[in-house]
Amino acid sequence: MAIALLFWGCSIIFVLVVALILCQKIEASGVKRWGATGSLFSYEKEEAK
Amino acid sequence: MNLDISYIIVFGLYVVFLAWTTWKSSQQVESLSDFTTGGHRMGLFLGVGTSVATWVSVASVMGVPGFLYRTGVAAIIGWVAGWFLATAIMPMLAYKVRRPDIPARTFPEFIRMRYEPFQKVSSLQIIVAVLMFVGYFIFSHLQVVGFGIVFNTITGIPYEWAIFGFLVFLLMTCLGGFWSVAATDTVNAILILIGLAFGLGAVLSATGGVGNILDAVAVTTAPVNVGGPPMKAGIMLTPEGSFGWGALMAIFMANALGASVAPHWIARFMAPKNAKAAVLQMMWTVIALIPIFICLIIIGLGAKALLPSLPAGKTTDYIMPLIVQQYAPPFVGAMTLIAIMAAAVSTANSMLLHCGTSIYYDIYRALFPNREMDEAKATNHLRISVFLLGVLAVVSAIKPPMMLAMGFTYVYGAFGAAFMWPVWFGLFWKRMNRAGAYAGVFVGAGTYVIAKIMNATNPFAVGAAVSLFAVLIAVYMTKAPAKEAYEAYFEADVSPSTREVALRIRQESDESAHEKVSLSAKPAAK
Repeated sequence: MAIALLFWGCSIIFVLVVALILCQKIEASGVKRWGATGSLFSYEKEEAK
Repeated sequence: MNLDISYIIVFGLYVVFLAWTTWKSSQQVESLSDFTTGGHRMGLFLGVGTSVATWVSVASVMGVPGFLYRTGVAAIIGWVAGWFLATAIMPMLAYKVRRPDIPARTFPEFIRMRYEPFQKVSSLQIIVAVLMFVGYFIFSHLQVVGFGIVFNTITGIPYEWAIFGFLVFLLMTCLGGFWSVAATDTVNAILILIGLAFGLGAVLSATGGVGNILDAVAVTTAPVNVGGPPMKAGIMLTPEGSFGWGALMAIFMANALGASVAPHWIARFMAPKNAKAAVLQMMWTVIALIPIFICLIIIGLGAKALLPSLPAGKTTDYIMPLIVQQYAPPFVGAMTLIAIMAAAVSTANSMLLHCGTSIYYDIYRALFPNREMDEAKATNHLRISVFLLGVLAVVSAIKPPMMLAMGFTYVYGAFGAAFMWPVWFGLFWKRMNRAGAYAGVFVGAGTYVIAKIMNATNPFAVGAAVSLFAVLIAVYMTKAPAKEAYEAYFEADVSPSTREVALRIRQESDESAHEKVSLSAKPAAK
């Protein structure tokens, strides 16, 4: 049971790490079209009110 | 008839709610791009909703508890962890697929842009579309089977007639294209979570808690079906179960690596507003799936504690509806069964959309690029194709030939063997070229089928390994691709010739493209 849950847990941790790295890469690129906004987990700039 | 008033009320509300959502989403005027990929402008909320609902199919909602019931926790490694790993590596693909300023609209068009950008008629696009058509037809067929089982359980209408009820839902959700599918999928995703939480509560209440469930399955020897061979005591809690590690790893790898390059997911990555939205979409999808799968795992194991053996002749795909009907109060049972139906409808509409798109957009229109066709007419043709395929899927489901979760594994394995290297190398290796893509698709798909026929333990691994060898030989024996083939996936700013090629491909497929370009794009000098 523990081994089975370990397989599952590892894949969940993996996606969080991968997504974090990719968002950082997009931010580092500074390409707005790819979603670089200056904020790690934001994909579009909030429109000025 | 085993119809209860609670079931009728919940079912009626579900239908009304679905119709209202479809009507609201169909208010948007849809172009061909809207119909196929949501116009590449989807936000995170709808993106996560449609991804979760597409991800949670009958193979997961009915197949996973079924396999947990049949084999124990080994199903967590084979299916749950396999599919989660697939979703976990998807952000890497999404990050690349959504990079181009002018992305493809469909998976076969992506293959064409990457490998045959200068061909007037792309053979590779058509071959990939044919493979997709076959795979997605099987997927759709499996969803209809799941729908029929649930609809039969709710209404008592014989399965052979119950499956025709699917066409009503198909009309409501699928014919509006990607936006309707996304909107109804989001509603379905919320319903799936609520319904399964109700089902979990019913199972925990009936068994007395997780501790009691584990105690019961640890010692059970009850056969899967009444009169069948008894199980070995304790096998349900061993990680490899009755599969053995070789077979279990084959299932795990086919589900993980195969599903990651499944064309419907590549198409999903084209829909978000930008590359970061595509990455975040898959990350949040995984997080949203965790509670859903916790419910499914406990329900599957709890079912073994509650109902040690199924009646003779019933497959384990029936375990979920049987349990909620026997052990949940009518309203809770109705909510759970509606959740399963929502899973079937939301995955089937998406699969049929891809199936219809591949046959019409990528085969018919690719074969007749000069045929005059306005956008409204093309969208209507797509609607008709989708509906006719739905009818065929229903007819084919009258005598279902295979277990739900296993059927998915076969198709994911075949997709993985055929598309793994063309997709991964295409996005991450500039040297990957047309010859490599042909080798990958043909050798991968062919080897998988042969390995399957010869009963290889891991046909996916055999197919992928032989395909890798063929791809590397083909790539190094032929010249490097023109930069127009790969530039958009590697650079932020592409050369004018790359942009021109992408626009020409989209315009050939869509007469109403707004940007007029020259048809004389040629490979740039190296």
